[in-house]
Amino acid sequence: MAEAAGPRGARWLWPLLAVPGIVWLGLLFIAPMYVVLAILFGGVDPILRQPVPVWNPVDWDVAQFRYVWDHVVGAQPFFRPALVRTVVYVGLASATCLLIAYPVAYFTARFAGRWKGPLLFALIAPFWISYMMRMLAWVNLLQTDGLVNRTLSAGGVFDVHENWLGGRPSTVVLGLVYGYVPYMILPLFAGLDRIPVATLEAARDLGASRWETFRRITWRLSRPAVVVSLLVTSLPMLGDYFTNDLLSGSPDTSMIGNLINNSVLTPGQTGQAGAFVLLILLVSIVPMLLYVRSTRAGTDVQS
Amino acid sequence: MRGVAGWWRDPWRRPWGLLVVTVLYLVWSLLPVLVAALFSFNAGRSRTTWQGFSMRWYYGDPLRSVWHDASLHTALTHTLWLGVLVTALTIPLGVAMALGLDRWRGPLPAGANLAVLVSFVLPEILIAVSLLFVATVLTTPLRLGTSGQVIGLVTYQLSYPVVIVRARLLTIGRDYEEAAVDLGASPSRAVGRVLLRMLVPAIFASAVLVFADVIDDFVIVRYLSGDSSTEPVSVKVYNTARAAPTPALNALTTLLLVTSLLVVVLGYLAHRRFTRGEKAGGGLDVFTGEA
Amino acid sequence: MSGEPARRAPFTGRSAVARRSLLRAAVAGLAAPGLATLLESCGGGSTGSPSARETIPAPDNPVRWPTSQANPMIKSGLTPERGSTLRVYNYADYLSPRFLRDFEDKYGLDVRLSTFNDADEALTKIASKDLAFDVYFPSYDSLGRLVAADLLRPLNHDYLTNAGNLWPRLRDPWYDRGARYTIPYTIYSTGIGWRTDMVPTDVAAMSNPYDVLWDTHYAGNMAILDDWHTAMAMVLLRNGIFDINTTDPKDIALVRDQLLQMRRTMKPRVTISMYTEMPAGQYGLCQMWSGDAINLPYYLPNKVSTDVLRFWFPEDGRGEVDNDLAVVLAQGKNPVAAHVFLNELLDDKVAGTNFAFTGYQPPLLKFTPDSLVADGLVPQNLATAVVREKDFDTGIPLLQLPAAADAAYHQVWQEFKAGG
Repeated sequence: MAEAAGPRGARWLWPLLAVPGIVWLGLLFIAPMYVVLAILFGGVDPILRQPVPVWNPVDWDVAQFRYVWDHVVGAQPFFRPALVRTVVYVGLASATCLLIAYPVAYFTARFAGRWKGPLLFALIAPFWISYMMRMLAWVNLLQTDGLVNRTLSAGGVFDVHENWLGGRPSTVVLGLVYGYVPYMILPLFAGLDRIPVATLEAARDLGASRWETFRRITWRLSRPAVVVSLLVTSLPMLGDYFTNDLLSGSPDTSMIGNLINNSVLTPGQTGQAGAFVLLILLVSIVPMLLYVRSTRAGTDVQS
Repeated sequence: MRGVAGWWRDPWRRPWGLLVVTVLYLVWSLLPVLVAALFSFNAGRSRTTWQGFSMRWYYGDPLRSVWHDASLHTALTHTLWLGVLVTALTIPLGVAMALGLDRWRGPLPAGANLAVLVSFVLPEILIAVSLLFVATVLTTPLRLGTSGQVIGLVTYQLSYPVVIVRARLLTIGRDYEEAAVDLGASPSRAVGRVLLRMLVPAIFASAVLVFADVIDDFVIVRYLSGDSSTEPVSVKVYNTARAAPTPALNALTTLLLVTSLLVVVLGYLAHRRFTRGEKAGGGLDVFTGEA
Repeated sequence: MSGEPARRAPFTGRSAVARRSLLRAAVAGLAAPGLATLLESCGGGSTGSPSARETIPAPDNPVRWPTSQANPMIKSGLTPERGSTLRVYNYADYLSPRFLRDFEDKYGLDVRLSTFNDADEALTKIASKDLAFDVYFPSYDSLGRLVAADLLRPLNHDYLTNAGNLWPRLRDPWYDRGARYTIPYTIYSTGIGWRTDMVPTDVAAMSNPYDVLWDTHYAGNMAILDDWHTAMAMVLLRNGIFDINTTDPKDIALVRDQLLQMRRTMKPRVTISMYTEMPAGQYGLCQMWSGDAINLPYYLPNKVSTDVLRFWFPEDGRGEVDNDLAVVLAQGKNPVAAHVFLNELLDDKVAGTNFAFTGYQPPLLKFTPDSLVADGLVPQNLATAVVREKDFDTGIPLLQLPAAADAAYHQVWQEFKAGG
């Protein structure tokens, strides 16, 4: 929209409406990041080793940041495996989510017919089923005496006693997929739903094969939605620690979220949590800007 | 008979493959939850072996059922209270912000827009840790406990109504407002009586989504929780699941499930009522935040 | 071993604590709560010279803590207010729900139990003072810090009428002469637990049973305690280093190497829920607290016999033996109820209820180790999990570490938990 304001004489209305929200975000979203910096570059009280923030950048002490940095890229990079693992797990989980979500969303968008409403309802269901309940359900099923092993044992035919919860990366990745795939289905569905059927029919009428139609029309038109849904799914996954905590008790599957969680409440290490927070922020800036651009592009196309 | 090859090449054949995938996905997605809900009715202490039907974990057991165990039912009531409180704060703030940001131009609103979109995808742990720091080293109204949790959740959820309502605003356009002003209404009345009325479905949808998201929240409410009276169901499950859980935990989560189901169904029905007359199926798009 | 991050001078003095309060006040424009208290405790004589801040009690260095100036003892003869709330802060599953219910009914108040996963987390939450917990269950390895930070309220012994039930040696313990701030809660040892149906080795017969935790036959089939000091002490004991509170960097480096090796080759689960996970069959071998061992039969499925359970503790008694404490926090709003609660814990019947639920022994005269086995409360194959009084003579407690060593140990643990 090119116009600077709405109906005549209403220029004060819009800022007035927006300001409370802006102030809120400024005070409680932007400003606390400065507190994180003040603690990261601050010190520690000598008795209980609680963090002591330092507000003046001139007095900032880079010791805690340097400690984390040294153990990511330095001589003894013992934080690095967790960081690499995070990228790998999130990448695998997001790809798997896409493999699952795309066909489901495509089916719902194009072929569901009169079942579209109830189907969407069932797909949205996981949003309002507590994430913890879903994970708890899997913990029960995956226990050594749980239903998964018992089903695989096929009533005594085999003797399956797999320790699914014993620190397996596959369990953690599948847990991430299970938890986050609903977040991917909806934006994908929205994007696929927008593709007019007439275009597809025209392509088929013109003799394109199913694969060609998919590749040249469906996939191409749904690419922005795919990008958005990948970002909406993978970025929140970066901070996940509880999936690993519940589905694996082993340090060997820890992610950056676990590094933060382990240090934030440990006396003397709270500042390091700030460093990891900063790291996540820096790493996700590029994908976030990509997301912002994609949504802007999407809305521009719409209007 | 065209044969299998003919069937394969038929461009209008039913998509059995996709249907199977979809059904399998739904089963995989929902069955574990149903099993967990089933075990909440277990007569014994096990959560993996069925030992008979009983309501003991709901109200029967005098010590450890949800009804009798204060820490369990407090978690449930606290979760619902957080949902109501946060939704009540977020929706007005977010809707107003959506309206304002849509029409106001300049560097400040552009920056705010960016902040909103960023907060939409940012990993929750960043907000949780930063607010935990604020709560522990500064003396502000934001303290560990309900106040911190509410404030943290509003901050995290604010982007939801903003994104959804703005998407709706794009579809609505300016015509109705300008018509109202041409007919003599003041700009604020035009917004209030015309625009808001038309936004009701989007506002409703965002309220339902925010509520559902808040009662499910874990990271923020855990770091900002105080003592056990401010632990919502998600934190209770996390703490207990790593110790010695009983089926009372399944009962607790099933109760939460039923409650949120009720809320979402009510919201959906209300939404259907509000969007009667609009293009079919278009209404649900508003839930995706993409419409 | 990489050095710990250097701290700038201003943050090593008492001024840091006062400065933090001033910063809080300055930023908020309000008087920070407890500012006066903090300054008073810093400037007042309660902890004396800076070196007293690091007072570390040990069996050969008993400590009588100074009485807090800022947190006076409550008056005698008061009764807890009906309808009030008593906030208790403890591990999960460490107090019997039945006891809590009975306590609520008896005194007409509400008990609100909050739980923590480990002492570090607990200390952080308590330090914030926002949560106003009344009763807390630490061990003596953090007692010095709690006293130095003036977080405890001195006990008024007029309320502790059941104190005579205690074992004599714990009535006036080395970590708290005169029992100024603490009462003992449970006693326990740390050893190795296993299931004979999942672990064929006779661990007790090995020349160095700790080695079984590095035996790759059991890779993926074992767990260690998610408690940095307990786990690291076990590594020291494996190597015959009986000073489990050592500050020698060489010893700490050794622990680091062997812990990392264990993580690499054994894929251990790191948890404190052995008492449910081992009976459920998730693994067959673990480092374990004796109380959890005694509790194992309760969680065992019916079809598995309790005969498969075993617990090992060094025969010569030179293993970890500790006791947990209960203290009244100064930040609590209900100190009278807190005192009454502590007294109840020392009651024989209540202690029996708690023991039946948690499996952790109360150090009361009525509960002699021999009677526990004889009365069938503890199966014979777990008799080694019962702590005897003489174990306190030979056993080695986990003590508080000086700040620098504490940071070094935590660093090793952090590296361990970060995964490889």
